[in-house]
Parts: sequence; C-alpha cells; structure tokens
Amino acid sequence: MDFDFTPEEQAFADKVDKWLVDNHDPVVMDPTRENFTQLADTPERRAFMKKLAAQRWLGMSWPKEYGGQEIEGVYEYILNEALAKHSAPQIGKGVGIIGKTLIRHGSDFLKKEFLPKILNAEVEFAVGYSEPQAGSDAANMQLKADKVEGGWNLNGQKIWTTSAHFADWYWVGARTDQDASKHTGLSLFLIPMKDKGLEVVSLPTIGKDTTNQVFFNDVFVPDEYMVGTPGMGFQYISEALDLERFTMFTLSPSTERARLLIEWAKEAKRDDRQIKDDPNVRRLIARIVTDQAVAKGLSVRFVCAARKGGKPPTIQSSQYKLFATALSQRVCKDALDIQGAAGQIREGQDEGPIRGRFEGAYRATVVETIGGGSSEIQKNIIARRHLGLPKNF
Amino acid sequence: MNLDFSEEQQMITDMARAMFEEHSDMDAVRKLEDDPKGYSDGLWKQMAESGLLGLTIPAEHGGGGQSLLEAALVYEELGRALASVPHFVSAIMSGGMLTEAGNDAQKGAWLPKIATGEAILTPAWLEPDRGYGPVGVQLAAKADGDGFVLNGTKQHVYFASSADRLIVLARTDAGIDLFLVDPKAGGVEMRQILSQSADAQYRVTFSNVKVSADDRISAAGSGWATFETAMYDGIVLLAAQAVGGANKALDITADYCKIRTQFDKPLGAFQALAHYLADASTRIDGGRVLVHEAAWSRANGRSIRRLAPMAKLFCCETYADATRMCEQLWGGVGFTLEYDVQLYFRRSKQLQLSWWDTPYLEELVAVDVLDS
Repeated sequence: MDFDFTPEEQAFADKVDKWLVDNHDPVVMDPTRENFTQLADTPERRAFMKKLAAQRWLGMSWPKEYGGQEIEGVYEYILNEALAKHSAPQIGKGVGIIGKTLIRHGSDFLKKEFLPKILNAEVEFAVGYSEPQAGSDAANMQLKADKVEGGWNLNGQKIWTTSAHFADWYWVGARTDQDASKHTGLSLFLIPMKDKGLEVVSLPTIGKDTTNQVFFNDVFVPDEYMVGTPGMGFQYISEALDLERFTMFTLSPSTERARLLIEWAKEAKRDDRQIKDDPNVRRLIARIVTDQAVAKGLSVRFVCAARKGGKPPTIQSSQYKLFATALSQRVCKDALDIQGAAGQIREGQDEGPIRGRFEGAYRATVVETIGGGSSEIQKNIIARRHLGLPKNF
Repeated sequence: MNLDFSEEQQMITDMARAMFEEHSDMDAVRKLEDDPKGYSDGLWKQMAESGLLGLTIPAEHGGGGQSLLEAALVYEELGRALASVPHFVSAIMSGGMLTEAGNDAQKGAWLPKIATGEAILTPAWLEPDRGYGPVGVQLAAKADGDGFVLNGTKQHVYFASSADRLIVLARTDAGIDLFLVDPKAGGVEMRQILSQSADAQYRVTFSNVKVSADDRISAAGSGWATFETAMYDGIVLLAAQAVGGANKALDITADYCKIRTQFDKPLGAFQALAHYLADASTRIDGGRVLVHEAAWSRANGRSIRRLAPMAKLFCCETYADATRMCEQLWGGVGFTLEYDVQLYFRRSKQLQLSWWDTPYLEELVAVDVLDS
C-alpha cells in the first residue's frame, strides 16, 4: 500500500504544475470558470489544447501503435487534477471517451480517421446520449436509425449535448433495431456536426454554460461511421460513461474551492468577530475537509483499480462520482451559509466574498449530480453490480 | 499510488477473520452481553497465540512490532465480528502509552505481559459529567510523601474488573499525570454500569488511594500528551472497527433484501430501498480508504493530527447512520432482539460516543485547519 505517487509520477506532477504556471493564460485559465471551462469555444482554448498535445500529454495511456505512450492511467489522473487545479480546460471527451472506445471497438478505418486527430487536438466532439424521453436511462434512447443503402438514416432528437454548438463531430447513440431489447438494439455513430440534417438549438443554463438540443432530419451516416458491432452501442456507452465519470468530474475544483473557503474564513469578520470562531462555521469546515479527504480516497481507489487494466472499474467510478458530485454541491451550499447575506452577490463583483466565487459555483455545480449519469443511476449501478440486488427496479 | 495489501497483510486479514468467525460468532457475542468480565478466555487465548495481542507492541518487549496499518486490518475484522475483547484498552491504549512514555521498569514489567495476554491494563480516563478534553480530568492526585493520594471517580472504564492495572489520568499540581494503579489497592471500588452495547464497563471510585511515585508514567505534567498520542493511534483503529461493523451490517441487510419479499417483489427491487444501501456502501468504502490513509501515514512517520480525527468522525458517523438505515430495511424484525442487526445498531452509536465524540473530533479538525 502506498498513498504517495512514485518518484516518476511525482516528477511528472511537478512538471505539469510548473508548465501550467509558465503557460498561464488568463482566458483559458480564468479562475472563476472552474472545470467547465472546456465548454467555452474560444480560439485561445483550442490553442491551449494544441499546446497540451505538443507536450504529448494527450492520450498518454493509449497503446503505442495508436500514438500513445502506454503509460498508466495515473498519469492522466495527475494531468486532469493539475488542469483542474489551475482552472485550465480539461483534456476533453476525445482522448478519454471516444479515443479509448475506438481503440477497443472501432474499425481500422475509424481509428485511422480519428485517433491521430484526437492526439493532435484537431477535433472537438459532442456526445449525444440523452433524449427528452430517455434522460439518464441511456437504454431508452429512441433516436431512430433506419438501414438504407450504404448506411443509416437518422431521425429524432437529442438533448443536453453540451458541446454541440462548437464541436466538429457528434458521437451519437441511436436505435438500429426496433425489435431488439432496450439494451441490445442500440448502436454508436460518428457524424459531422456540420451535416445539413442536424439542427442545433442552444439552451442557456443557470450556470454560465450552454447546453443544446439537436434535431436529426434525415441524417445519413455511411456504414463505416458506425462504431463497432451493430446492437452493441449500450455496452460501449456504459464503458465510455465509466471513463467519463472519472475524466470529467475531477476532484480538484472542489478541493480548490474548499481551500479558498478556508483561507477566506480565516480572515473574514462579522460583527467585529472572526467568522472562524463561530462554532457552527468550525463544524461545517471540519466536515467539508473530512468529506474532501473521503472523496480523494474514492478517487485514488478508482485510479488504482483502473491502473490494473482490463475493463473500467465501474463500481469505484460510480461511488466516486456519486459522493464527489454531491460533496461539490454541499461545499458551495455550506460556503454560502457561512457567508450569509453577502453570499448572494453575483459572481464577478468585488463586493462579493471571494468575488462571488461560491455564488457562481452554487449555480454551476447542480449539473454535476445529473450530467454523466445522474446520482440515481450511479446508485442503481452500485445496488445491482456491487451489492447484487435484484434488477427489476 | 497503490492500495493493494501485501501478501503478509492479506494473511493477517484472513487469519483474523477466520479466528473471529470461529470464536466470536453471534451466539458468542450474545452470551457476553452484560457479562461482568466481557470477553471469553477462548478467543483471548487464540489471539495471544496468533500474535494479535502483541501485534503493535515493540518486538524488544515481546510483541510483533507491526504498524498501525496491520492493526487497522485486524480492527476491521474485529468490527465485523463484534468481537468483545480488551485488546483496545490493553494492547492499544495502555500498551501505546507505556511504549510512548513508560520507563524501562514499567515497560519491562507490563509490555511483555500485555503481548501475551497474561496481563490486562485499561485506562481510567473519563469522569461523570465531564468532557473528553484535558479539562475533563479532575480526579485529584495530591502529593503525599514520596507518592500521591488519589480521590475522585472515573466512568466508562472498560474491562476494569479484569484489569491488572488501571492507568489513571489524574490532576496534579503539575497538570495531568498518568498513574499505574492496582485495582485491588485499598480505596478502589468499582461497579459495573450497563451500556447500550451491553459491554463490560465500570464506574471506579478512588478514595484516598495511595500510589507510589514510581508508578507515575513519565515526567510530571506530561500525562495528557502521552494519552493524546495513544488516542490518535487508537481512534484510527476504532474507525477501522466502525468500517468493519458497518460493512457487515450492510452485507447482512443486502442479503435480507434479496430474499424478503413484499408486494410480490424482493425488498432490494425497490429503488427507494436499494438507494439507501448504495449510499451506505459508498460511504463505507470511502471511509475505509481514509482509515488506510491515516494508518499508512502513521506507519510512514507522518503526522495524523488531521487524518486520525477525520477517520473516526467519518467512519463512526457512517456506522451509526448505516445501521439506523439497516434497521429501517429490516422492518419490524430489525428491532427485535432475535435478529442480529440490532447488535450492530447498538454498538455503532456507542462507538461514536466513546473515545472522542463527533463535536470533539470536529473541533480537533477545525483547530488543525483554521487555527494553524
């Protein structure tokens, strides 16, 4: 047992940290934006991703034959956490979700077409699982894919596709077999976002980010852009979601917020008394720090399980996501409770404590317990696969 | 980073589990409820022979010299089995204090016997209507010739009737001191107090009890620091015990939810119930990593001033919350004495209240985070 990084891992963590300091960019590393910065479609962000690619930090765990370095996933964990700590954009869906799934299940054609572009940060993806009637139940997708000569014809709608307004390609699940069971009739496709049959309608959110609805009107997808075997889509998506829960919901933003709250509480006063001397504040902060330590433990547990290879460790992933995202919300809630009336001052204004960081975060973090599989879905996964409870709920 | 156990650590876990399953099944646990002695000679002997009693006692004093990490593995198993033994008070707390601060004579006299189980020592710390911190220690130790005279009352003294020595926390002119006191000495009286866990704990009254200066552990006024050092180690193990108990309660409840039907479905098929179990499982697994991190940190010579109280705070609360939830899932049978889940439910709350409770632990964490 060893809770420390190896010397090599620590050296890499130090190197990444230093590089992020040296390459600080006020646009892409805006500390008020936190880890959802990756959703911003700016030239600066794309340039930043190319710089990361130039460091060969994208796809480090991929096999060498696909341009990776075959080093353990812990290095990607270190990179992800460092990016989040510096409020830098995350490495995105391409490397962790689409790339890894293509390596496992994609055809030679798709690998050749996409893997080099992902490694070089030349392509942006949107992920289309959710639908108005499916929500968190990925098996309930209804987007219809009819077999036609040379490919498939897609009609229907997706929703909650966060990057659709700027992505280049759409990674989409659709129902290719109407007669098969919910879990066996789905397939995965890659579609260019500029396809004339796709209509993207943006939905502003209570946070600072935009999500989208996407309408499919006779979108033709050639056979070679189907991923893997027809009907296996749900299995691929389940695997990819395990990866997403880990790669997209890093702990560092929450850790950083807790650190900021503590620093603020040490100095702040109310009624001429130090806030930190209020027993209720002390209690809340003790609990935040404790729960952060537990969340860190759950993330380390995931990383250690993942480094053993094989299939993604589903249970550890679900437990981490369930606990950490609820905690992320609670830290913001507790921070506002501690800040009192001033906590309501909107993010970015000097009058707000820590320039309203927790006001903004409070609005933004509600997405975390829903996106990437809601907390309820995580609980179902844990109940069934870990505790062996019956399936018929 | 690597959370795997070594082969030796895995063997300790397996050995402890097998031993507790054999010698501390639920019948054995029930037989010891409210028993004045509170433990069985059979299990105690087995633990001695297998080296578990002396696991953390230094090798030069006849122990195994193992770290807190190995001890944490044993304590998780002890928690699963609800094994009632004076190991914590004797080997961990008393052995810890003597190892930390005892002189050669005290170490030589007691540590080897603690390691073999020949002697049982137990701390006499808490006092009626007083708190967990140093201010709570008010039992008076007045200098008298070349020794001291003790007057006062201690409560929650575990296994006192079996103890060969009490380690009494007393207030002297210098502050807090620790004294090795023979419970058979004149002026010591004890009576069993029944508890939520139905364990063997005593109120001990000291009326003009004479102790020699040789029986003071370490320098005058150093008692609280010695006690606190042992406590920081101890609470990591109690957190491990809580993880074990919570996990076992969860296991038996999940199994029950697979076979017990209601409205023509197994209980576990109802999402409302399954989600309770999923939440508890997540908290238990998270608590376990925190325990391991604290124990590993201690084993590697790092400070556990923050990790240890966090571990007990989180794990004991998880244990209490999880077993309350389990009671709910068992329904009516859960709160009858016939079923086992109530054994865990009762012990979980007591563990949370004992050896530093939630508000005290929160304050320890807050001091470390906010006042440093």
